[in-house]
Amino acid sequence: MNHGPLIAAGAFVSLAFSWAALVMAPQVQLGSLAPASIPNTSDVHPANRPGLAAQGAEVYRSLGCYQCHTRQVRQDALLYGVRLVDRGSNASTINLELPDSGRTNLVNFNLLIALAKSRADLGITPVAVPAVLAADTNVAPVLKEFATELKLLKQFDDKAQVVRSTSKTVNELAAALPVEVLERTGPDEAERAVKLLNDAGGKAELVIYNLGPDIERGWGARRSVARDFVNDSPVLLGSLRAGPDLACLGSRAPEKFAAAWKFASTNLASEMEQRLLIHLYNPRLVAPASTCPSAKYLFATKQPDQRFAGESLQVPGSDKPVYPRHDARALVAYLLDQRLDVGLPEAPVTKPSGPAKIAAAPAKP
Amino acid sequence: MTAPQISPPAACATAPSAVAVEASCRLPVLFFAFSSATWLLFGAVLALLSSIQVYQPAFMEGCPWVTYGRLRPAAVNSLVYGFALQASFGLALWLIARLGRVELTSPLGLFIAGKFWNLAVTVGVIGILAGDATGFDLLEFPLYAALPLFASYACIGAWALITLKARTERTLYVSLWFVLASLLWFPWILSSAQGLLLGWRVPGVVQAIVAGWFGNNLLQVVLIGMALAVMFYFVPKVVGRPLHSQSLAQNGFWLLLLIGGWTGLSQLSAVPAWIPAVSGAANVLLVVPVIVLIYNLYRTADGEIAEAWKRSGVFRFVTVAAFLLLLVTLRNAVFGIGSGARYTQFTYFAGARTDIMVLGVFGLSALGALHYIVPRLTVAQDELPSDGLVDLAFWASIVGLISLAIGYSLAGLTQGAVGATADRNFLGEAVTGVAGHLKLVTFGYGAIGVGALAFLVNFALALRRCCVACCGGVR
Repeated sequence: MNHGPLIAAGAFVSLAFSWAALVMAPQVQLGSLAPASIPNTSDVHPANRPGLAAQGAEVYRSLGCYQCHTRQVRQDALLYGVRLVDRGSNASTINLELPDSGRTNLVNFNLLIALAKSRADLGITPVAVPAVLAADTNVAPVLKEFATELKLLKQFDDKAQVVRSTSKTVNELAAALPVEVLERTGPDEAERAVKLLNDAGGKAELVIYNLGPDIERGWGARRSVARDFVNDSPVLLGSLRAGPDLACLGSRAPEKFAAAWKFASTNLASEMEQRLLIHLYNPRLVAPASTCPSAKYLFATKQPDQRFAGESLQVPGSDKPVYPRHDARALVAYLLDQRLDVGLPEAPVTKPSGPAKIAAAPAKP
Repeated sequence: MTAPQISPPAACATAPSAVAVEASCRLPVLFFAFSSATWLLFGAVLALLSSIQVYQPAFMEGCPWVTYGRLRPAAVNSLVYGFALQASFGLALWLIARLGRVELTSPLGLFIAGKFWNLAVTVGVIGILAGDATGFDLLEFPLYAALPLFASYACIGAWALITLKARTERTLYVSLWFVLASLLWFPWILSSAQGLLLGWRVPGVVQAIVAGWFGNNLLQVVLIGMALAVMFYFVPKVVGRPLHSQSLAQNGFWLLLLIGGWTGLSQLSAVPAWIPAVSGAANVLLVVPVIVLIYNLYRTADGEIAEAWKRSGVFRFVTVAAFLLLLVTLRNAVFGIGSGARYTQFTYFAGARTDIMVLGVFGLSALGALHYIVPRLTVAQDELPSDGLVDLAFWASIVGLISLAIGYSLAGLTQGAVGATADRNFLGEAVTGVAGHLKLVTFGYGAIGVGALAFLVNFALALRRCCVACCGGVR
């Protein structure tokens, strides 16, 4: 060890290993990552930022917001479930109404079989075929399958002698469609159930459970992944949560904010924008305990002369309006552009059943 | 006192006298020592101010130049580039000259390059305060500061290597391995990271990975390497014994280089899972070389520790630094992988690693070494003029570091507990609830600033005495 060049060469090789593993390998793996197209739309995620939001990214960097806020939602587990959307109808759907029972029980037997196969815990137990049904040529083969192959279902409504499962009939189960018939299972089991139910003539879809404290907090519908940042430069992931995570601020429900609030009107995007502007002006006005520094310097107190300088902002507790400067509006546009409600192949989310509550703020010219 | 290793007499034939070696070191090393201590004071003050803002948001509010998001990176970069790296240049030059028995090549050139380095750091800090930070941890200096920084380092590093090449003492002592590795490692990682982040601009999260890789290498290899160089020089020297085992040192050195570059990325979340996993495994593996190296030091000093602690100021600093190195490595091993990493991820606990490494492991080693070097280069004495100030610098730094480490760790663990379950109130418990712990952090930065100030005053006293001596013609 008395030769300097030897030590230098050894150091170079050591560094080269770590460089190859932690610089080159990630670049090879992630370097060509591109936005993914959202199924059934012409959109991609992440979409290119509109100009104002792109300028807001620079404000975010310049003011060092990333020193206190991460933009990385974590999740602990990814589980699957099955949602039955439609019972469907096929030949073996029969009316189990018995004389004098006063009940109608439309049962899709194939669906019942499928359910029994995919969910033992529903307690659909072996059946003994009532005489009145056994006579029905339509039903008999199906019931037979039910009784022999599945060894399930054996319970009649005492009075009406209607075929019942111990917990719920299919009708009850499917009374308020869509209903989740499988919750938090592995991917194989869920996919099998979906296939069974679809083959039985029903309509079922896969449900995805992204689990973890961050997601339960409402900070995002799924974890953040590398693809979410392909349009960012610099990539400001943040490493400290002195404030809440911002990865999904744009589509966060108001009650999920650190200081919960409610929409007062139907103009959600504009209301959210106002709220964030007031937060920038003085965070203590929207969250009294907040330790976020105010950014009053992003607001003018006098009406600017420029024609496009924008509308005034009414600040609570003050009768004088303030005028957000361009940087304030840009920063808010950037924050509203943060979204994780879109599924990606590597980080799926369940399709929302209704339209998304909050659309991203429209770009301002 | 003599260097711990036995040198072959033949090598001394052309060796310059110790006085000549010291004379060549005087200008650049004292310059690096003084300006690094000044940056330490400055950085500690900025860190103190920014740590108040975390629980007193109205403090210095309303001016973008001193908002937390700018003040904090300005503080960290002042401490890393102004204090830590600059101090390591001074120490590296001094160790090379001393252990290699060689006069520094071009002391004036080194001094000028050092001036430019300081200028670049100043420009960089102003750039951050003006809002031009790049957004990458430990690489926040904008390009217009980063390029001159690299250029001035190129001169410093090249002259240091030329000096090392010209050494008359051919045996390379352990300290010089670390010095050499650090001197080469730094430009490689700096150019690699700056090229990829500010030049080529790699896409997406690769940026965050590269920045994390750079920051970790800077702390774990460059600065820890310099700290170990100081430890391996002073421990045998103070106790007056040769190093316990050369081969243990060799193993520790190579393992540190091989593993050190892989650690520290377990804090990334939105990246492929293998990256934090691999890095977490390296965090655990790093325990091996660190224990090997520190065991070697311990065996060298075993039996003399209490006596050396009383007798020597530098030994005290270096001992605490070595202890801290062991602690911070174990801490990273436990909280750098798996559920431990997940628990402390995104909290002050994880962020405190930078502070403990820069101010603790490296900072204490460097301050100790400077307490030894400065009096020799100024007044040609073994001790700085004021013993009281030496004690103050030591105890203030220790108290500061303990407060810092405890404050950040408690705050981080509280945050981790809140983050682990969605039932807890984030704002009330993880943000405002940790204010008490963060006040301890503020106190810690203040104490570290006091320590730096005590050293600076002592330094100034020594300089004054030196001037008086020179002008009076006594010396």
